[in-house]
Amino acid sequence: MTQILNIARRELSSQFFSPIAYAVLGIFALGTSLIFVIGYLGPGQPATLRGTFEWVVWLMIFLVPAISMRLISEEFRSGTFELLMTAPITDADVIVGKWLGALGFFSTLLLPLIAMAVVLEFNASPDWGPIVSGLIGLVLVAGLYLAIGTFASTLTENQIIAFFVSVFVIVPITLVPIFVPRWTQLPPAVSKTILYLQINAQYEPFGKGLLALPNVIYFATGIALFLFLAIKTLESRRWR
Amino acid sequence: MIEVNDLVKWYGPVLAVDHLQFQIPAGRIIGFLGPNGAGKSTTLRILTGYLSPTSGGATIAGFDVLRQSQNARAHIGYLPENNPLYPEMRVDEYLHYRGKLHGMNRNERRQRIDVVTDRCSLEQLRRRLIGQLSKGNRQRVGLAQALLHNPPVLVLDEPTSGLDPNQITQVRSLVAELRGKHTVILSTHILREVEMSADEVIVIARGKIVAQGTIDELRQTARTGSKIIIELQADARSVSSVFAEVDGVQDVDASARDGWCTAAVTPATGADPREALGKVITTNGWTVREMRHDKASLEELYTQITAEQDVANTNAA
Repeated sequence: MTQILNIARRELSSQFFSPIAYAVLGIFALGTSLIFVIGYLGPGQPATLRGTFEWVVWLMIFLVPAISMRLISEEFRSGTFELLMTAPITDADVIVGKWLGALGFFSTLLLPLIAMAVVLEFNASPDWGPIVSGLIGLVLVAGLYLAIGTFASTLTENQIIAFFVSVFVIVPITLVPIFVPRWTQLPPAVSKTILYLQINAQYEPFGKGLLALPNVIYFATGIALFLFLAIKTLESRRWR
Repeated sequence: MIEVNDLVKWYGPVLAVDHLQFQIPAGRIIGFLGPNGAGKSTTLRILTGYLSPTSGGATIAGFDVLRQSQNARAHIGYLPENNPLYPEMRVDEYLHYRGKLHGMNRNERRQRIDVVTDRCSLEQLRRRLIGQLSKGNRQRVGLAQALLHNPPVLVLDEPTSGLDPNQITQVRSLVAELRGKHTVILSTHILREVEMSADEVIVIARGKIVAQGTIDELRQTARTGSKIIIELQADARSVSSVFAEVDGVQDVDASARDGWCTAAVTPATGADPREALGKVITTNGWTVREMRHDKASLEELYTQITAEQDVANTNAA
């Protein structure tokens, strides 16, 4: 556990030295602010961030993989991976630590969203319950995207490839389900599964203010699955 | 301290390490010598637990590198080839991070960082970003990192590659200071490197050990490959027949040119027939204008050994 935190801390501080991280921060702040100001801020609008957050989930498809793409790939490229893997720590320490560090960086992205909540507080009386649960939901979504991204990053030393691999894994579980209701010839079991797997649908209850166990389990299993795959990929590298 | 047992590593269809076997007692500095691509780095990567062997095994301080990997790794300080570092970290910060990876607490870290930065002359650079350091200073950070947890075994993969002569000398003296305190395995493709600092040399080529022993033993082997060259005024045929009779002479190769005869005498193993040769020359009344001992240097021996290996492999293929 101490090793996980050690690696996570190093990862978090090194994120702030990467220009890509600042680009992600900037684009995220700008994007979310535009969504909020243009779409939801104004007299007569409900004092809620639910709509904004749902759009943020879409924005994250492209921004979160940009955070995770460097996690392992950069260590491969620079060779520091060799020193990391010859330290007396486990492969799981490395993967979970890296993922946690990236999640820590992601949480700084949420600052503009908190600022929006404060803006609402000054101008109206928002219900803080859904805002807090919405933020927790966003962290879970990011956790899943980052786990996918960590896995993608163990596959290649090229960050761009890692980025596209994670996007190509995320898109089918976010965009594809939208078209499922139109494919009436699909067996109901299949379409039900696809709809169940959709990240945005699993996020919805959080935006409403619901912290429901099935949704939390969905994200926890997804995160565990991809982190497990990442650990196995690292292990397999020793045998090449 | 280090035991390598019938180690084999295949990279797909390529055999990188071919049934390697050797033992290194505690406190020795071993030069691991071989041309590029001989399998040096692969062997070291297996010892440090970065790669798994295809078959065979190795132990570090009694711990199996495969089954007790964490324990084995805890006993090794490793400086990989090209000395990878995080350019965005400060020297101190990086050493603390590495110390934590080795499970050292804050006090141990502080104390050991003081020791290793002093030993590697890094005191002035502790607050500097690694990315801004010169190559030589970065190498010192790499060494400091390897020494940090005071490991019984040090694995240094080409520690002087890419350094200027001054820095090479510094690294060499640093390695020499480790004698007796650590078991060091130092890989290089430059012979002079091990001539200066190693107690014993293992020469590998194409994944196999082709020579092993102390520098002196290797020199001895080299000497048997040496020749005595004599230029004298005489008939080549009589020179060969007379010299061949001399004690300690294994082979004579005489050729005549411009009235002078050049005889290349190969001494028998361990023998030095120079005096005896001088005597027969005087008894025959030959005029001598040159007599020299063509010593095969270690460098030549090394080239010869590794080249033989190449030829053998080409023939086999």
